[in-house]
Amino acid sequence: MIPQTFEYTAPKTLDEAMVLLEGGGKPLAGGMSLIPMMKLRLATPEHLIDLGRIKDLDYIREAAGELHIGATATHSSVENSALVKAKCPLLAAAAGAIGDPQIRNVGTMGGSVAHADPAADYPAALQALEAKIVIRGAKGERTVSAADFFVDAFTTTLDAGEVVREVVVPVEQAGTGTSYMKMPQPASGFAIVGVAVRVRRGGGKITLARIGVTGLSNIGYRASAAEKALEGSAGTADDIMKAAALVTQGVDANSDLHASAEYRKHLASVYAARAITAAASKA
Amino acid sequence: MATTIIQTEKLVGKRIRRREDPRLITGTATYVDDIQMPGMHHAAIVRSPHAAAKIRSINIKAAAEAPGVVAVFTGKDTEKVGPVPCGASLPGLRVPHHYILAIDRVYLVGHPVAVVVATDRYLARDAADLVEVEWEVLPAVADPEKAIAPGAPPVHPQWPDNVAFVYHQEGGDVDKAFAEAEVVVKQRITSQRLIPSAMETRGVLAEWRGADRQMTLYTSTQIPHLVRTLVSGMLGLEENRMRVIAPEVGGGFGSKLNVYSEEALMGFVSMKIGKPVKWIESRRENFLCTIHGRGHVDYFEVAAKKDGTILGIKLKLIQDQGAYHQLLGPAIPTLSVLMMPGLYRTKNVRAEIVGVFTNCTPTDAYRGAGRPEATHGIERMVDILADELKMDPAEIRLKNFVHNEEFPFPTATGLTYDSGDYAAPLQKAMGIVDYKKLLAEQAEARKQGKLMGIGICTYGEICGFGPSPATPAGGWECGTVRVEPSGKVTVLTGSCHHGQGEETTFAQIAADELGVDIDDILVLRGDTAIVPYGIGTFGSRATAIGGTALYFALQDLKVKIKKFGAVLLGSPDVSFANGQVTCNKMGKSVSFKEVAAASYRAMKLPPNTEPGLVSTHFWEPPNFTFGFGAHIAVTEIDPETGQITVRRYLAVDDCGNIINPLLVDGQVHGGVAQGMGQALWEQGVYDDNGQLITGEYTDYAMPRAHMMPWIQSEHTITPSPVNPLGVKGVGEAGTIGASPSLVNSVVDALSHLGVRHIDMPMTPEKIWKLVAGGKN
Amino acid sequence: MLARAIPGCEGLEQTGPDEYRMKMKMALASLSGAFEGKVKITDSNPPSSFRLLVEGSSKIGFVKGEGLLTLTASGENTDISYEGDAQIGGTMAAIGQRLIDGTSKMMIKKFFEKLTAESAS
Repeated sequence: MIPQTFEYTAPKTLDEAMVLLEGGGKPLAGGMSLIPMMKLRLATPEHLIDLGRIKDLDYIREAAGELHIGATATHSSVENSALVKAKCPLLAAAAGAIGDPQIRNVGTMGGSVAHADPAADYPAALQALEAKIVIRGAKGERTVSAADFFVDAFTTTLDAGEVVREVVVPVEQAGTGTSYMKMPQPASGFAIVGVAVRVRRGGGKITLARIGVTGLSNIGYRASAAEKALEGSAGTADDIMKAAALVTQGVDANSDLHASAEYRKHLASVYAARAITAAASKA
Repeated sequence: MATTIIQTEKLVGKRIRRREDPRLITGTATYVDDIQMPGMHHAAIVRSPHAAAKIRSINIKAAAEAPGVVAVFTGKDTEKVGPVPCGASLPGLRVPHHYILAIDRVYLVGHPVAVVVATDRYLARDAADLVEVEWEVLPAVADPEKAIAPGAPPVHPQWPDNVAFVYHQEGGDVDKAFAEAEVVVKQRITSQRLIPSAMETRGVLAEWRGADRQMTLYTSTQIPHLVRTLVSGMLGLEENRMRVIAPEVGGGFGSKLNVYSEEALMGFVSMKIGKPVKWIESRRENFLCTIHGRGHVDYFEVAAKKDGTILGIKLKLIQDQGAYHQLLGPAIPTLSVLMMPGLYRTKNVRAEIVGVFTNCTPTDAYRGAGRPEATHGIERMVDILADELKMDPAEIRLKNFVHNEEFPFPTATGLTYDSGDYAAPLQKAMGIVDYKKLLAEQAEARKQGKLMGIGICTYGEICGFGPSPATPAGGWECGTVRVEPSGKVTVLTGSCHHGQGEETTFAQIAADELGVDIDDILVLRGDTAIVPYGIGTFGSRATAIGGTALYFALQDLKVKIKKFGAVLLGSPDVSFANGQVTCNKMGKSVSFKEVAAASYRAMKLPPNTEPGLVSTHFWEPPNFTFGFGAHIAVTEIDPETGQITVRRYLAVDDCGNIINPLLVDGQVHGGVAQGMGQALWEQGVYDDNGQLITGEYTDYAMPRAHMMPWIQSEHTITPSPVNPLGVKGVGEAGTIGASPSLVNSVVDALSHLGVRHIDMPMTPEKIWKLVAGGKN
Repeated sequence: MLARAIPGCEGLEQTGPDEYRMKMKMALASLSGAFEGKVKITDSNPPSSFRLLVEGSSKIGFVKGEGLLTLTASGENTDISYEGDAQIGGTMAAIGQRLIDGTSKMMIKKFFEKLTAESAS
């Protein structure tokens, strides 16, 4: 690890961090994406602001029917939190699917979300959960929906000097089944395709369907056509197959060494069918 | 004097935990990078980002003036340093002059062009970015078959056809065999480039002491003595004035069975600046600048009778050599040819190797070195033949094996298989997995539309490299036993283990022979100043040759121990066992410790005997040893995604006598993991411009623990007659057996869809396409 | 106009009839690099098509992109279609596999968005 020279500051409070970030610092959370890039000198930040020492960013708590996940809560703390497992099992499942144990022990919710890797696991779940991202900047806080937060590959609505303060997800209502399924890329563990599903039943019908897809294209997205097809249906195997076939509708799939666009699209439908089936069986 | 006899428990054959493990798992072992020296400088190497380019100019001014920088050297400065050596000699071999720093042209991405030396590693790295190279980018070629096609850009302009060598080998009457054949099967089979990925990257620390005219070179290598001989030659330094030390070496897998430019470069720099200088390879450099393995395209043809009898084999082997020959590169595919008949009796073989230059990292020995490729080829071909003839893959193998009464068996390629019972491991494996039941289960699964495969590989491997005439640098090994005056025992071995565990197994051998506690034995290796000479650890040779050298040194020593014991007891009629020299007639014994003390005190010497208890033996083996075995892999395939699940993996290996079953298990597990890596995940992929696009672990899929199935390791034991320990070798067996058994298994799962062959790695997308398309 | 349309372009200096020297800053995720290179227009076939060649090199490697832009009138608007590929080399190639396809799409998208905006203004 021989990066370019950089300054390093570890503020104790978010207010302190805001001042430093305004001066042009680069926020460091778990560093699971940033550090490897610095190692190769592909990233050459001049000043790292380590958010890891800010105690009031590392929390998972429930308030008013929602779970609040602090930016520096690690993936493993989300994965293993009794609260998250009970109240928002989809998020716990997505966290548990990230990388490997070492990455999950260090990587953070805020870091992952702000990095907006198109193959990260969280975006699928956050889209399906219609999560809110609370952003802190020098001028104060603003809250945006996951749908608005992710703009393109590695591109979010975060402005310079802003950081993710927390992620807010709803407490899952009774009668909702969820599932996250992915095919990991064998080298990196990132999703070749990952599908997050929430399904609620009522009166013999699917009353709510939320499907988030990651890995397929430049951005984790909600598969609206598939959701619409599923909602109101009886949720039979046939209904599920039909809906799953729609998850790639209108999507410009990416292609790389590990999976062609054609295969990725196929996998998205397969994993969607499996995740919907699994979620529906729990609903 | 005590008369009690201590009955020492024999340690050979016991599952003894590795004595090297505590320091390794507590992070206290000393690797090259852990060594610090007063005045030590650090080097960073500037490398080409292009696969082929002319160097128009190099401007080192800014780098030379950067903080902490003491020197910058380019190819002009190092031109007179000897070339990076190629130890392989084949008729007509074209050997490009391999400068340690490029002079006016680069041939691969990562080609070193300058070295920046600074007082601090970070400053050296910063300054390396300031070296300005003006390039004239040239067209590159990265695929060996494209490289030999007409019109390909020449890698080395002096050889426009990109052919490094053509090598023929033939045995028996191949044309007759093919003329008489009732069936001929043909297949193109590739063995992709692999990146060895030792956990410790390479590293070199050179310390030149000009006043003494002596150099110490610490380097992460499998072959310290050969490095000394060759690197001292490159530097024009007398061999005896260089000391090479391989401290703890964190894995090699063949990638450190080499002599690299950086070893000479650090020596050069240290001599120039008069200070110690260290270079530690980054992981990125390791991907680009340390040798790769495999890189074959094989065209196989097998002639057979309808009853499955193999009559002859033809092979055209295209070996991707990369841009240069490293130490053994061109010799590696010749090992594939030697083993191309596998365990089968056929005496008619013909092989042609075309070694091809590409603008890629040189290929050389990687765990198995030629034998995995050979085994993969013949074992795939036997399955293809079985499929053609609608025969059972086990049956066709049993039909063609060398018979037990034919050993020692001269092969069509000129080898002599030492001993074997080739049917035994296969039959044992079939029994363990209940082969018939598996076949029935598979038939049932197919009815339900499920994809399940059973894959068999039987392999033979050349171990114990090797008799000297068959090797480029001597094939013997050296063992020294030095009993200290206190009775503690120091074993010095020319084997240079780097994770294999010889500190344990060699201590077991010595403890048994001398009847002393294993904790009284220290095994040292890897330092040319303390070990008389050595060839090194590679080619499944350490125990078979280094262990045997040690064994003979121990026998010599035992004779001397008896002589000293006889003097102490005052009777010539003595025996030595269990750490005691005993005169039965007198009913008296002296302990090993007492003998050791007396030998150095030298109050009374036995006739014609020197003081001290030291013995050295150089052992030259009369033959290779030939390990063999049978692996069975059971796989299931998800038809929707193409994902492969290895449901069961069984390895039945015959490595002769086993010194430590725990370590043999470890070797088999690690070897299978590497073979599985090739079969399922790993691939060194270049784009058309010669850029390595699997150049970090984000894209190069190393097998990891959570990806591994349970591996069952079993054995049959056929002692080798080649050495008194009866051992063969097992370091590479797992790798050799794994890839064919896995590919055979997956092809078997899809055979009813018309699939006959799948090239590695068997990625889910490839399998999905085959399931969807139903053809190969 | 080209200078403003090329994402990250910090300066374009004409060096020939259809050739420009370019300074470009690329920032993607945490990756950042200052590239120097050239932009070249070839096979110019106004008003329907031209080929755009963009080359840049930096300490972290080099990029090369080549594309054929085809403009077709559709009513009052002009549709622009693009066909091409991108190469990367050097250190960037080490991690680029997963990113190259998506990233080049994104850059091209930005290019056209800006081009459209510039054309409109």
